[in-house]
Amino acid sequence: MTALLFESYYLGQRTLRRFYRVPANPISVVLYPLIQLFVFSQLFKDIVQLPGFGGGTSYLAYLAPGQITFTVFFAVSWSGGNLLVDYRNGYLDKLRVTPINRYSILIGELVPLFVECVIMAGAILVLSVLLGASIATGLPGAVAVLVLGGLFGVAWAGTSFVPALLTKNEQATGTLSILFFPVAFMSTAFVPPALMPDWLRVVNDWNPITFVIEAMRALMTTGFDWPAIGKALIAIAALGAVLHGATLWAFKRLTN
Amino acid sequence: MPGVSTPVVDVDELVKVYPGGTRAVDGISFSVAAGTFLGFLGPNGAGKTTTIRILATLLRPTSGTARVAGLDVIADASAVRRKVGFAMQTVAIDQLSTGRENLELIGRLHRVPASDLRVRVDELLALMGLADVAGRLAGTYSGGMRRRLDLASALVHRPEVLFLDEPTEGLDPQSRSALWEELERINRTGTTMILTTHYMEEADRLCERLAIIDVGRIVVEGSPAELKRSVGADSVELRLIPNEGPGDGLAASQDEAARLLADLVPVAAIERTSAGVRLAVPDAERAIPGLMRRLDSGGVHIEGLSMASPSLDDVFLRHTGKRIRPEEADRPIDLGWST
Repeated sequence: MTALLFESYYLGQRTLRRFYRVPANPISVVLYPLIQLFVFSQLFKDIVQLPGFGGGTSYLAYLAPGQITFTVFFAVSWSGGNLLVDYRNGYLDKLRVTPINRYSILIGELVPLFVECVIMAGAILVLSVLLGASIATGLPGAVAVLVLGGLFGVAWAGTSFVPALLTKNEQATGTLSILFFPVAFMSTAFVPPALMPDWLRVVNDWNPITFVIEAMRALMTTGFDWPAIGKALIAIAALGAVLHGATLWAFKRLTN
Repeated sequence: MPGVSTPVVDVDELVKVYPGGTRAVDGISFSVAAGTFLGFLGPNGAGKTTTIRILATLLRPTSGTARVAGLDVIADASAVRRKVGFAMQTVAIDQLSTGRENLELIGRLHRVPASDLRVRVDELLALMGLADVAGRLAGTYSGGMRRRLDLASALVHRPEVLFLDEPTEGLDPQSRSALWEELERINRTGTTMILTTHYMEEADRLCERLAIIDVGRIVVEGSPAELKRSVGADSVELRLIPNEGPGDGLAASQDEAARLLADLVPVAAIERTSAGVRLAVPDAERAIPGLMRRLDSGGVHIEGLSMASPSLDDVFLRHTGKRIRPEEADRPIDLGWST
């Protein structure tokens, strides 16, 4: 276990360098969520007047958690490609001839993803506040939202890593991970369940992303809703177990 | 090889069949004594890379056993990794890390103690002539510098055995000979070296022992000199100054040379050429001084001399019936799913 942490720490340093030393990466990671939130908030400004919202709520505060999960989806969709670059240029083999745990390599890849997700979520929160939203739980709640966003990104990473490891092709990785996007639309990211058709409401009830969004939403609009936060963490853990199990399987398959 | 010491690499009946049926390695056995510089010479696709990847624990053999530093490459893979270094065919360095960062990361993953690591990294950077650019991103390095950085990263943990897969592939002649010197120096410190190459010159220059490998099998093994001697004699060609006087001066000189050299032990055969004679001798370099003395004292004058030895290409031709061709497609494009 200490070995895993030690190895992941140094491998994570490298993957972070790879991220921030290309200026386009940090720039787009900050700019993209800003643009997305700004456009969405303008588009749907009056949607809260619909009966299902129960009026009153600031759509900005309501929208932020959905926007965060959406940006996380984007960050994840391009994350698997990095592993392929290492695979193709032989760096993955170079790491594999060192006496390290194979899973450290994957954890190392998740470090910059976590950071990206937190930065993107942070950008959304800052802009929301600037545009007039208030966060019901204040700074501690904002930190909790960022952590939930980052953890969700790490768990969700499998939707990009598995296609990458199976297809060994960057383009296919991108196109396949997009197939997971509709899962976000089938959640309460943009509208409350009351406005959904019946079948979608059923899907939504079982959608792990909804649990993550609802916990964030409570933090934004009402307060520390511990049962909701607990459900969100369970949903993230379950997603992570399934997706990372598949990732590990695909990784072993690639490297045997 | 001296059979006294236990071999540092011991391979028995190694077979690798890839999914899809390609039999890349087809029953290879060999052993290597500590400190040896062994080369696998063969065309692309002969099974050299597959063999070396199995020894470096990157690939599982289909059958057979391989032990490195006394450890089984499958059962004790992790322990083997501590003892070996592997410089791969493609240079694998992180371009967005500096030269120093590249070496430090690999050193840490090999658990080189922090106090030792700094010294070791400085030492390697100096050795490879990279000290001045240690703080620059590796992506800005030239091809030769990348190779040297890659080689350095295989040495951070002072491996007992160093595997080199086509180490000078794609280098210009100058960088190539600089790298050869480097490899010889590393070998002199006691590191066992196992190299694959399809460059005859490289095998000849570096390796004290060669295994010629073709379609997954070792076809012949020995020192470069032994192998070359086994395919035939050296030849010495003499251009003679024709005798003065009546008749065919050249023919007279040739006859005289043949008479003088007939009883000389090293000369195995002699034939006329358009300008002199050609001699077949077992070892041209040693034979020439004696030949010169004999002809000189007999009054036959030489205008010029050239000698030729069988090359490793001749060895390869003899044992496989074909020449080592350079580039050939190595592996099919991987489209995923199928494997």
